[in-house]
Amino acid sequence: MNNLYAIVIHDVANQLAELSLRLGDLGNCQNEMGILMNTTRRLSGMLLLHRLESNQLSVNSDMVSASDFVAILAAEHRELFPDLVIEINDEKVPSLAFFDDALVRMVMANAMYNACRAAVAKVKVSAYERDKMLVLEVADDGPGFPERLLRDGIVAPSLANEHRIALGLYLAKNIAELHSLEGRHGSVELSNEGGAVFRMALP
Amino acid sequence: MRKGKDLGFNSDIAEKWVLVIDDLEGMRSQLRMSLSSAGFAKLHVVSSIKDALERMTSNRYDVILCDYALGDGTDGQQFLEYLRTNDLITRNTIFVMITAEQGYKKVVAASECAPDDYVLKPFTAAEFNTRLEKLLERQEYFSVIDKATDTKNWGRVIVECDKKLEYKDKYFVDLCKIKCSALMRVNRAQDAANLYTEILQMRPIGWAKLGLARALLQLNKTDEAKKLAQEIMAESPQFMAAYDFLGKILASSGDKHAALDVLQKAREVSPGTMSRVRELSNLAVSAGKPEMAEEVMSQALQKHKYSPVRQANDYAVLSKALVNQGKTTEALTVVTDAQKTFKDDHSVIVLSAIESVTHKAAGNSEKAATALAKAMSFGDLNKLPASTVISLADACFASGKEADATNLLRHAIQNNQDDAAIRSRVHDVLIFAGKDPDEANEIIETSTREVIQLNNDGVRKAEAGQLEEAIELLCKAADRLPNNSQIVGNAALVIALDLVRNGNNPDKLRRCMYYREGFIKKAPNHPKIAQIDAQLKQLK
Repeated sequence: MNNLYAIVIHDVANQLAELSLRLGDLGNCQNEMGILMNTTRRLSGMLLLHRLESNQLSVNSDMVSASDFVAILAAEHRELFPDLVIEINDEKVPSLAFFDDALVRMVMANAMYNACRAAVAKVKVSAYERDKMLVLEVADDGPGFPERLLRDGIVAPSLANEHRIALGLYLAKNIAELHSLEGRHGSVELSNEGGAVFRMALP
Repeated sequence: MRKGKDLGFNSDIAEKWVLVIDDLEGMRSQLRMSLSSAGFAKLHVVSSIKDALERMTSNRYDVILCDYALGDGTDGQQFLEYLRTNDLITRNTIFVMITAEQGYKKVVAASECAPDDYVLKPFTAAEFNTRLEKLLERQEYFSVIDKATDTKNWGRVIVECDKKLEYKDKYFVDLCKIKCSALMRVNRAQDAANLYTEILQMRPIGWAKLGLARALLQLNKTDEAKKLAQEIMAESPQFMAAYDFLGKILASSGDKHAALDVLQKAREVSPGTMSRVRELSNLAVSAGKPEMAEEVMSQALQKHKYSPVRQANDYAVLSKALVNQGKTTEALTVVTDAQKTFKDDHSVIVLSAIESVTHKAAGNSEKAATALAKAMSFGDLNKLPASTVISLADACFASGKEADATNLLRHAIQNNQDDAAIRSRVHDVLIFAGKDPDEANEIIETSTREVIQLNNDGVRKAEAGQLEEAIELLCKAADRLPNNSQIVGNAALVIALDLVRNGNNPDKLRRCMYYREGFIKKAPNHPKIAQIDAQLKQLK
């Protein structure tokens, strides 16, 4: 069954890819493109959730240039949200970083998309080192995370849950924790500091 | 990707040749449009691997964008592996995989052949362009090193890496990786092991562990290498290269069944590339499990039915597996079909040899003799890979031509003196031909002794001052066994000694340089090169 899901999602992704390039050519379709990208992420998030729940999600860390990583993330969202100012802060970025590029790409794109949607005018994406951890951070100037989310923390998505299914955050938390080195694990921190701040710390 | 969104980085982007391979018509036209508006002017867009290869014979590309799912059995990853193992693209060519496969990163982790980057579908033009921009930046950064890699100038690779390593920039680990491979190529395994260990202290990355295992093996620390490979397999069962590596160690130490187990386990995790299929089927045939070889190879060939990643040899192995099970009719069908596809000289030899074996097994001696005669009209034996020479010997044995067979095997052994895999294959053929193990070992040992004796005679004559005789002996041997680096190296050295003693002679110098070239190719880091060069320097 899992394979069948994967094949269908694969087909959908192919069609969406063509659609996304067509939208790019039409021009002025950034909103539509944003929705399209987010929809795909939710679909693949569903696959990841399935793999996570059946203990099949594994992390393959390798060398990644964190400065290139945030530059690509920012470029993508500048195109999707042309009215926002998207700043990069990579002054203190370590030259060497190790993480699972594919998984972290998905997590950060999701965080970035949410921040851009919530932002009034500005989103800042940063990469820096803190306590021997690489921190990838997205901060917006919007209304911030709901109080309840900050109080209860990130919980597994379920139908019984009152607030909307926070699949992206749940995956983010788990993907961060799957990154480990010498007993230290990654983590996700949420806070409101004049807007929502999403931090992913990776060992 | 509307107009006015040109890539920022490289002004000569319009000069870069780009090849796009995608089987979906819609994606092709969209990518073409996107790339042209990003500023790329030299674009070829094709729909299949076959068309891509055709384009590549007449054009050198700077950037190749390839879809992962290509729809004709061979996927983008296998295509990349094919390009790299056959040196069809330079190291500096940017290869980007475009994929809708969420699990693609796993595919890469499982392979030893990584693309320079991959883009997940769907993507926005901005993401795509920024990635290309970063890759072009990287292409420029590595251009000198890549050029040295392409010309297999490992010494230069190491020097250039060292120059850049001191900056500890974002390419640091990539540089270490490249330097390690170069160190291994020049047999500086201890230095490579040290550098791999340094990387591992930063982070326990799979490829660095495997690299260390390879270095340990080269340092004859076989058990440590084995242990490390098993460790990688336990930690990351998806890391296929570790299985292949362990399988090879076990096979060359003679433990074929254990090697088969490892490769079978690998196959359960991922069906893998043609090179593993080849390894596994050859091993299965030689371990007396032809039914396993048949299953594995026929499945793979079915999958890659229309793909250029197949070789005539694959069909030969399949036929052999069938013959060994007495299925001669099926074996003959396989050979005949392959003969329709593979018509180059080498394939004709390989397929005629197995055709002969098959006819003989089916009881048709006349046809077997005709096919064998065709196979044996190969011209220069030294132009054939050792595996083909061994297959020819197998065919000779099948037709009762003992002397021809033994001569071929002797040549394979002597021309590949230190190659354990070749010795093991020769052993297999001898056993299959009905020799008992002692007899087989005796033939192998005699061949080895002969060549050692030959070399020693040459050296002794040179030491006794009989340079002319030494030259004649060693050059004759070097011409017969151009792959035997010891003999070729000594041939170059005695001529150099003679030149110093008896004065320059353009004809001799030319021969000396010819053997020296051949020697460097086989043993790029051998101390004897310096010895030869020291003599030649005296001439100048």
